[in-house]
Amino acid sequence: MKETSNKYLIVAILLGLAFHGSAIFFTLETTYDALIHLFFADHYANSWFEPWNYEWYTGFTVQSYPPLVHQTIGLFSLIGGLKFGMFSVALIAIVLFITGAYRFSLMMTANKTVAGYAAVLAVFSSSFVETLHIFGQLPSIIGVSVLMHALPEIYLWLKTGKKWYLATSLSLIAVTVTSHHVTPIFGMIFFIFPLIGMVIMDVSREQVNTMKEVTFKIFLNSFFKLFKRIVSFGMLSLVLIVGCIFPYWLNSKANPITQVPIPHGSRDNFLEITSSGLVFFLIPWGILLILLPYIFYRYYSKRYLFFGLSITICTILGTGGTTPVPLKMLGETAFNILTLDRFTLWASILSIPIMGEFTYRFVEGDFKALIQSKFGAIYHRIIGGILAGLMVFMVVFTMSLNYFRPSQPQKIKMLPIVNFLNQDDHDKWRFLTLGFGDQMAWLSAQTNAMTVDGNYHSARRLPELTTRPIERLENSKFKGVAGIGSLQQFLTTPEKYNLKYIFSNDKFYDPILYFCGWQRLRQLENGIMVWERLNIPPVSSILPKEDVAKWLKIMWGIIPFLTVLIAFVLNIQMLWVIALKSKIKPIPDFLKFPTTYNKFNRNVLRITHIWSLILAIAVFYGIYLFYLKNDSQRSPENAIIAYYDALDFKEFEKAHSLIDPESKLPIAQYMLEISVTDGLLSSYAKMDAIETEITKHNDSTVSAKVTSQWITPLEKIEKVDYKSLSKHKDKWYLQPDDLNNDLPPDQLYSANATKYFNQGRRRITTEATHHEDILKQPVLEVVSAKLVQYDGSYAIIGEVQNIDNVPADVILKGTLYNDDNKQLATYNAKYHIKHKLMPKESSSFRINFEGIAWSRTQDSIPDTFNPDEFTPIEFEEQPTKFNLQAAGNVSGSDLYKNVVLSAIDIKDKTINGNLFNSGIQEITIPQLLITYYDENKNMVWVDHLFVKEGVRQQRKQDFEYQILKDGKVKIINSDMKNIFVNGLPNDAIAGKIVPNRIENHSDAQLQKIDHPDFSYIKIEINTYIGSPN
Amino acid sequence: MQLKKTYLLFLSLIFASSFAVAQQSGASNKVKLLTTQTDFEVGNYIILKFLVSAETKNPILYCSNSYGSTLVSSNIKNNFIEFYIPDNITKKTGIVNWTLVEESQNLSGKININPKAEVATMETYIGPPSIEAGGTDYTMLVVIPTDSLDNPVPTNTMVNAKFQFLASEEKEDIFTNNLIAYRNINSKRESGRMLVSSESLGINSKEFTINVTAAIPTDFTISAKRPHDYSDGNQITTFFTSVIKDKQNNVVSDGTFVTFFIKNKNENILKTTGTTIEGVAHAKMIHPDYEDNWSIKAYVDGMSESNTISLNYKQVIEDFKVVFSNNNRAIVVGPLQSFMQQMIPDGLHVKLNIYKDNTLVDSVIKTAYNGYVNYTLKPAIYKNGVYRFSIETAGKTKEFNTKKLW
Repeated sequence: MKETSNKYLIVAILLGLAFHGSAIFFTLETTYDALIHLFFADHYANSWFEPWNYEWYTGFTVQSYPPLVHQTIGLFSLIGGLKFGMFSVALIAIVLFITGAYRFSLMMTANKTVAGYAAVLAVFSSSFVETLHIFGQLPSIIGVSVLMHALPEIYLWLKTGKKWYLATSLSLIAVTVTSHHVTPIFGMIFFIFPLIGMVIMDVSREQVNTMKEVTFKIFLNSFFKLFKRIVSFGMLSLVLIVGCIFPYWLNSKANPITQVPIPHGSRDNFLEITSSGLVFFLIPWGILLILLPYIFYRYYSKRYLFFGLSITICTILGTGGTTPVPLKMLGETAFNILTLDRFTLWASILSIPIMGEFTYRFVEGDFKALIQSKFGAIYHRIIGGILAGLMVFMVVFTMSLNYFRPSQPQKIKMLPIVNFLNQDDHDKWRFLTLGFGDQMAWLSAQTNAMTVDGNYHSARRLPELTTRPIERLENSKFKGVAGIGSLQQFLTTPEKYNLKYIFSNDKFYDPILYFCGWQRLRQLENGIMVWERLNIPPVSSILPKEDVAKWLKIMWGIIPFLTVLIAFVLNIQMLWVIALKSKIKPIPDFLKFPTTYNKFNRNVLRITHIWSLILAIAVFYGIYLFYLKNDSQRSPENAIIAYYDALDFKEFEKAHSLIDPESKLPIAQYMLEISVTDGLLSSYAKMDAIETEITKHNDSTVSAKVTSQWITPLEKIEKVDYKSLSKHKDKWYLQPDDLNNDLPPDQLYSANATKYFNQGRRRITTEATHHEDILKQPVLEVVSAKLVQYDGSYAIIGEVQNIDNVPADVILKGTLYNDDNKQLATYNAKYHIKHKLMPKESSSFRINFEGIAWSRTQDSIPDTFNPDEFTPIEFEEQPTKFNLQAAGNVSGSDLYKNVVLSAIDIKDKTINGNLFNSGIQEITIPQLLITYYDENKNMVWVDHLFVKEGVRQQRKQDFEYQILKDGKVKIINSDMKNIFVNGLPNDAIAGKIVPNRIENHSDAQLQKIDHPDFSYIKIEINTYIGSPN
Repeated sequence: MQLKKTYLLFLSLIFASSFAVAQQSGASNKVKLLTTQTDFEVGNYIILKFLVSAETKNPILYCSNSYGSTLVSSNIKNNFIEFYIPDNITKKTGIVNWTLVEESQNLSGKININPKAEVATMETYIGPPSIEAGGTDYTMLVVIPTDSLDNPVPTNTMVNAKFQFLASEEKEDIFTNNLIAYRNINSKRESGRMLVSSESLGINSKEFTINVTAAIPTDFTISAKRPHDYSDGNQITTFFTSVIKDKQNNVVSDGTFVTFFIKNKNENILKTTGTTIEGVAHAKMIHPDYEDNWSIKAYVDGMSESNTISLNYKQVIEDFKVVFSNNNRAIVVGPLQSFMQQMIPDGLHVKLNIYKDNTLVDSVIKTAYNGYVNYTLKPAIYKNGVYRFSIETAGKTKEFNTKKLW
């Protein structure tokens, strides 16, 4: 018998390569995972046998992920670069998937035409499209493809007992294991167990005449007959699963994932969070949803019974948090670690043979005959058109998802950043990226510089990261309180991590960077702003690592490729050898069990019709709900939400379209009014929640109280607005608000200011800076400092002055000790200080001692976001002494001081006042530092207020500050002995420059307040300029 | 490599010498140093010559200086042996200890390698690069002249330190001791830029710069300038200081931060700041919008202060009208007129306090536009009922009791 090549398979491979092969160049780089695999590949390309990687998370081991795909990309990268490697592997994955689908389908259906149809359909399977083009999960695709290749071999081993098939099947299992660890484990359950069941069925079938005659007794007998083969296969594959990636399991045991679970969309309730439902349910199922009745009908036929059970479990688990069933089935731990979309992927892959079968019967089989005889040929054609159209629609929709809803920021040109890091030894410090998305992995792959962040969260090690449900610091703004809280700790004490440079691609983070004491260095050609922090020591040249035994390293470096080689030799090479010997190849056993397609079940057709109708109704109802929710002018609530959304996303034209047209407010004027408002709220806030309370007056006018919650990098803001709405022609419109009319006195005015420029190194050389180019550190004086306790938390407060003649960047680091001089805590001043001081300028400060938030109470992480939330450190012992280290460095940036306290009025514990901007820069965020004094004018506490609105040039801005509630501040220690400035004792160095300091000099100028615990306050003003010019 | 060869040689020699001991038991021989010179100039060849008996075979010389130790093999000439001391030892100044390793006796001695009286390069350090005027603060000049072989020059080599400051140019001789010559340079009374260089045996250093900055400021005076003395809430008063100087009469550094505290008639403290340029700091303050009396004093915190000056601002708005309409829900305040009866410039704050049952419900601040302020009381916020209003602007308050909204 001559074997003819299957033209459907060839078409499928060609189509797949042409379609996916060209599309990956536009999709793969913007997927979630592809660049992470690229980073790992870069690691292997540079150090194949050394598993320790220093670049992420202050060091982690790549033995935390199966290496085959990464090593393959790494190997290919030696030929044509990393991206060449990635695309090559992606092409291999495509071919493996299509051929795997073919072989799996052939085994299942025993019909080459059906398998051919299945292979063609697999090319356009929306779950495959999504996994490849949206998620970029190359290892997972390769794992499941190789598993599909392994299934026929396993079948043959179990059925025939030929040792050759045991070898081929095990060799393929080994490849699966080394490319993805989860696939073979669950593949055992969802693919191999049902396959074993099917083999037993087939063996039983051979003993009787028809499938109907297979009884449980016969089945059991066959099972015992095959028991040895099943067990030997099972044990050997277990050995392979453990053995092939043994270092991985060893590492998982040594570093168990003890982190707070990171939320994943596949665990959501898909009916509540429809976006997750779309991505993790609708898209992967795609057209298969319509075929579900047929799929279940076929899989619950006797031969496939176990596949029926498997696909049912996969389907149910794939529904995530929509029903409580998956949680109950998996248990809390597994539910929170696994990403449940995997189960949907497997269910859809299990459906491929049945989909092929359905299509075959629909296109040229009995199903066609049935429909044509019942409804006529035209109906058949229309249905065919609709199904084909839906299939194409799902593919196009899935492919374009990233275009309409980009999951990643715009592609960033990495070269300027790479150059910056290579320049001038900048890679001797760690860096951090903000707002890069998964592209940070690509940056890491291109540079040797290290980052504190990383993109493979299972490998995180710092407790600051593992105790938070955040993937990366990089996108912390999307992770609410936990994200920003985590980021703030890194920004406040960067010297702990040798973190000196931040590349910011998102203006949102600018204020927090500024108020934590960072300064802008410059903007790179690609628009990325570089921030730096002074006084950070470089990374030491010897870094700690967790070493593993040499044999583990060698094993890790050799086994993955060895499995591929063996699998290649056994499965492909030998085929050639056999073919050349022109031995007649026996028909594989699974082809002996064909299904005859001669009578399509009428009930299935009926149920499919009803099911399609239900689906159609559900889809149209969904669209209708979507319309109701998004029709912005249907109700006043919708109008308000649409208006605030538009403002939040800076879609001013849309916002303007919601303003009452009768108010005759032209868009130019509206834009002008919106554009002049700057500040924390209008430039750096992201709306978190909105609540409207509508009061109806008549059918066409309502008033609304709008309470909106805004997240800013610094704090959470609640804003209450009162809006009026009116209805014209069935549409609701908002009334425009009043403007601030403040008119500055001058059209043009001048200001003189002292500006500074630090040359850095004057000579253009790569040598270390010449000693004569090193500036003296500005001398600071800590005028006063004390350890106090207020409201349960400890803080060091005081006043620091720049007594030098050059402007200084000030970094204060406080350490607390107990009576036995045991160090209890150390922290830096965050934003209770003016970090930049002009000569002779002073600033009050407060150093809070923050613990790693929620490290104790893992389960009580608040749902709502409050960046200002403060977790006081838990002291085991009573702090009684403190040490304060002040470091000054010359800095010429952010020295804008032209802000004036122009009016103040104190009533009922509320301070109302005005700030006036007398200079020539627009102040984006003014910050007030309020120092409290007792009746003897002793400083007792420092508080702060971020004014929500900015102050434009020569304009006033009012503020309101609530004086602290009653509470005695306990002064624990005011001994100034252990205070050091630039490493020298404070007293000695200050005495040289200011020998006769006038103590408590401006005490006469303290503001009196009426308060039981505090008698005076002092207000200092710090300003953040968003765009200096 | 050199070292490795030496070690190999050394080991093989030890091995070889063990045979020698076995053969020549009891033989006595005399070894004597012939070279009498013990002081050499650095860089010159050094040969140590010994007189030995004929039987002596291949003695080696162990040499050590402060950089390390080495073994030197001999050249045998008749009854003499000669040792050529290697370059790496002769190029370094200091004491070289040597020991002749020979089986019967160990002869040892030392030679001095003295520096050359020449200077090829000079390493110069100076720091800190900025000091304070007044004579107490100082910076330190450190000069390390070295010869062509990078050895420090002999002790008491003269180094000529040169200073230029303002009109003076000074020279001073300092002498090297323990490799270096140093000098503490105290500042003068004046601030300015000091250039420093040094010279030794004809070799000159490069130029170094020391900034001598002014010391802390002393008391100063302040004055104010304003376009008019009306409290219109719009114009700007500028305060400035006299030229702030330190006690040596140097103008303080640019950028010195001066805080102006303003105490108004309500005993509230307002505040503006300025930084100096050529000793003069400017600070601006917007005029109050009501009659006020300011007393102003400026400080450089902890160091110096100014006199106190006082300024009066005259009331501009003596009275204003308030009109209620539209069920009392529309309130028009104005016209608000300034001192020449002109409309007050836009932006004057008008505050409407709304009381219900004698509790403050809300206070709304609005800004004047073309002399008027309009309030609309939205029914959603202010339910129908009786309210009390007070309107404050320019320090004047008007009360409206029992106004009914409906």
